[in-house]
Amino acid sequence: MRAPINPFFVRSSFAAGRLVRLICVGFAGHVLLASPLARAQAAPPAGHEEEAFDLMNLLSHHGLHNIEMESWNLYGQFTYISSWKLPFQAPYTNANGSINSLVPDYERSFTGTFTLFFGLKLWPGGEAYFVPEVISERGLSQIRGLGSSIQNFELQKSGSETPQLYRARLFLRQTFGFGGHDVVKTSDPMQLGTVVKSRRLVLTAGNYTFLDVFDRNNLTWDPRQTFFNMAFMTHSSWDFAADARGYSWGSAIELYWDDWALRFGRMASPQHPNTLPLDLRLWKYYGDALELEHVHVLFGQPGAVRILGYRNYEVTGRFDEAIAAYQADPKQNAGACTSFNYGSGNFSAPDLCWVRKPNQKLGIGINVEQFVAKNVGVFFRGMYSDGKTEVDAYDPADRSLSVGAVAKGALWKRPFDVTGVGFGMAWISKVHAQYLAMGGIDGFIGDGNLRQGAEGVFELFYSVNLLTAIWLAADYQFLWGPGFNTDRGPINIIGAKVHAEF
Amino acid sequence: MLSSSRHALASVILLALSARAQAQQQVQGFAVERFYSSAPGAGWFAMDTLDMHGRLGGALSLTVGYARNPMRVTDGSQRFAVVSDQAITAIGAALTYDRWRIYLNFDAPFAIKGQSGTAGGYSFTGPSVDLESNPDTLSDPRLGVDVRIIGGPTSLFRLGAGAQLIFPNGNRSDYDTDGTYRGMVRLLFAGDEGLFTYAGQLGVHLRPLDDSPAPESPRGRELLFGVAAGAKLPVGRSGSLAVIVGPEVFGATAFQSFFGSNSTALEGLLTARLEGTAENRAQLRVKLGAGAGINQQFGAPEWRIVCGIEVFNHNQVQ
Repeated sequence: MRAPINPFFVRSSFAAGRLVRLICVGFAGHVLLASPLARAQAAPPAGHEEEAFDLMNLLSHHGLHNIEMESWNLYGQFTYISSWKLPFQAPYTNANGSINSLVPDYERSFTGTFTLFFGLKLWPGGEAYFVPEVISERGLSQIRGLGSSIQNFELQKSGSETPQLYRARLFLRQTFGFGGHDVVKTSDPMQLGTVVKSRRLVLTAGNYTFLDVFDRNNLTWDPRQTFFNMAFMTHSSWDFAADARGYSWGSAIELYWDDWALRFGRMASPQHPNTLPLDLRLWKYYGDALELEHVHVLFGQPGAVRILGYRNYEVTGRFDEAIAAYQADPKQNAGACTSFNYGSGNFSAPDLCWVRKPNQKLGIGINVEQFVAKNVGVFFRGMYSDGKTEVDAYDPADRSLSVGAVAKGALWKRPFDVTGVGFGMAWISKVHAQYLAMGGIDGFIGDGNLRQGAEGVFELFYSVNLLTAIWLAADYQFLWGPGFNTDRGPINIIGAKVHAEF
Repeated sequence: MLSSSRHALASVILLALSARAQAQQQVQGFAVERFYSSAPGAGWFAMDTLDMHGRLGGALSLTVGYARNPMRVTDGSQRFAVVSDQAITAIGAALTYDRWRIYLNFDAPFAIKGQSGTAGGYSFTGPSVDLESNPDTLSDPRLGVDVRIIGGPTSLFRLGAGAQLIFPNGNRSDYDTDGTYRGMVRLLFAGDEGLFTYAGQLGVHLRPLDDSPAPESPRGRELLFGVAAGAKLPVGRSGSLAVIVGPEVFGATAFQSFFGSNSTALEGLLTARLEGTAENRAQLRVKLGAGAGINQQFGAPEWRIVCGIEVFNHNQVQ
């Protein structure tokens, strides 16, 4: 049985006059990114719409490119997201010298990204991909104070308002076919148009993000087209190995056998938690992931179930050890750190800086997607991590779940519009909460005090398609328990997005 | 009396230290690389065959190179390499149509290492760039356009022009960027006659940065020049492959001190490339080069090796 083709991405013929739109998109991107004025989120791109404008369709329409069996392709995208956080209630902020509170005042955050996706066929089954990206950003409260529900998935820990060009991806992919039926791979960003076998082995190696291979979800995979909030991009409590932008170096092996797939991957970890430099000694420190996937058709609609387990072995601090170190010797406090630390000035709180050493982190989760009608789908994700160590690369949640629905506008005669509603919640472990309640901080959170509770988000968005290649989206997010602290919030955030693809 | 003497002594010492500090100026760094790889599909490593033709086509290229000691400074008493090792990958994409080409090049440094020290009253801090500390660095990207003005794609003499805009990206202290926008405009020439093939360029590097008189540092605008020549030998009976072997010599000199020994970079590469010759489908080109600095100043290295792989397609109707 064939793997279900994502009904959101169906190729068809292309109309003339798109070159002008290409120029307009490129000019708009340059103008917006050139304006002064910027938690890594490495979002893999979804397959583009066949009816939407893109260069490959344009060339194919004019007989200049074989889009079914490509030897190369080129795609691009531009996304500008602006978020307005309204003032909220908070009895305290950055108490006792802690520095990781979300400030309760009005704030505006933005990101602007421009990305090119180059793909090249090297030999039978061999492909190379190169993705340069430019980003400019400004986070809310310097991306502090929210644990699992950062309002804009594009925010990077190492970003700034000055546009930065960097290499997001440079990797090789090799596919070995073993038989079975043909599976059509449509031309997409980071996917050459080709035909592969339903039974195949796929090797990926180089510079990319774990999310390019693992925990895919056809409804929420590319946040540039759907939800804004990070809670819906992947499991909030999957601390996948990555640098401060969300990418890393490593490899993955996938075995596809008709409706089943088994994946294993290893990626390099940061040298210090949540920083850009990596430790490339993959035999010593690493993040591993193992995933089992099954795709199915239920009542005529495609769906999939994925079970993901991960194990990290990285230099991190355990919360219980940080607490014990402080209680045994109060001089080992957050204000007196002599090694890598997050800059807390709280001399009466424990800190992970005193106890960092190689530690293991484990987690397991499930990811379910199901189309319930031709253009409507629902999704669910849930993960449980051990919660013993600090966040090393992603976000500080220890347990998480998210659920939602996404619908395309074909139902109301606007086929390229997209709308969705989602609900996400995350928790931290008891010992993690104890550490924060004592005034400790980790990568993003720590108010100096804590009344433990869930951090959650409700999000509603509508994305209007204009001129085929451009989407404008409006977004509303309601967040509660920021930093897993029910003493503060709730928070209302209004968002807007301009997204273009070519 | 004693107290005022101590004050005076302290003042003299402070003045002396201040003067010494002023005499040693810190060099911020700049783009030391002198090897400006050619546009994807151009054939040579630095020169351009100007053989664009056909319908909408293009090329993708990957070039990897290593340079040893591209920047050494001396004040007569000591000599050290501010940049001793430079390993860079260049990835490029080009679109061609008839006699036109537009392209984009990205340089990704994998290692830039060097030593710190002082020379000639200047203080240098050696760079330390590697994949661990800079896992995703891209240096100044280049956007260029070339056009063949005179001659056909295989004629004896071809004349063309090219322009590039170089966008600043990264940190000057890594010695892979000037931190300013730069430009290049060049006259390009090339030709083929039987088994003989040649190419060359003459142009201007529009470079705002002028750090003179710091040793080896940029001094504003530069003249670019270069020439390549070689033998083009068909491979096999069908002639579907060709080998081109020959040297490329290229360099740059600052207008400010024209062809001065300290302001001129000159290096040579012995190159060989194997390429497909079909006109109506994608072809592969693999090339290799090794060489040394002829005048090892101003960014020309002690020695250099480069290799490249290109996929190109003229998309010519048969």
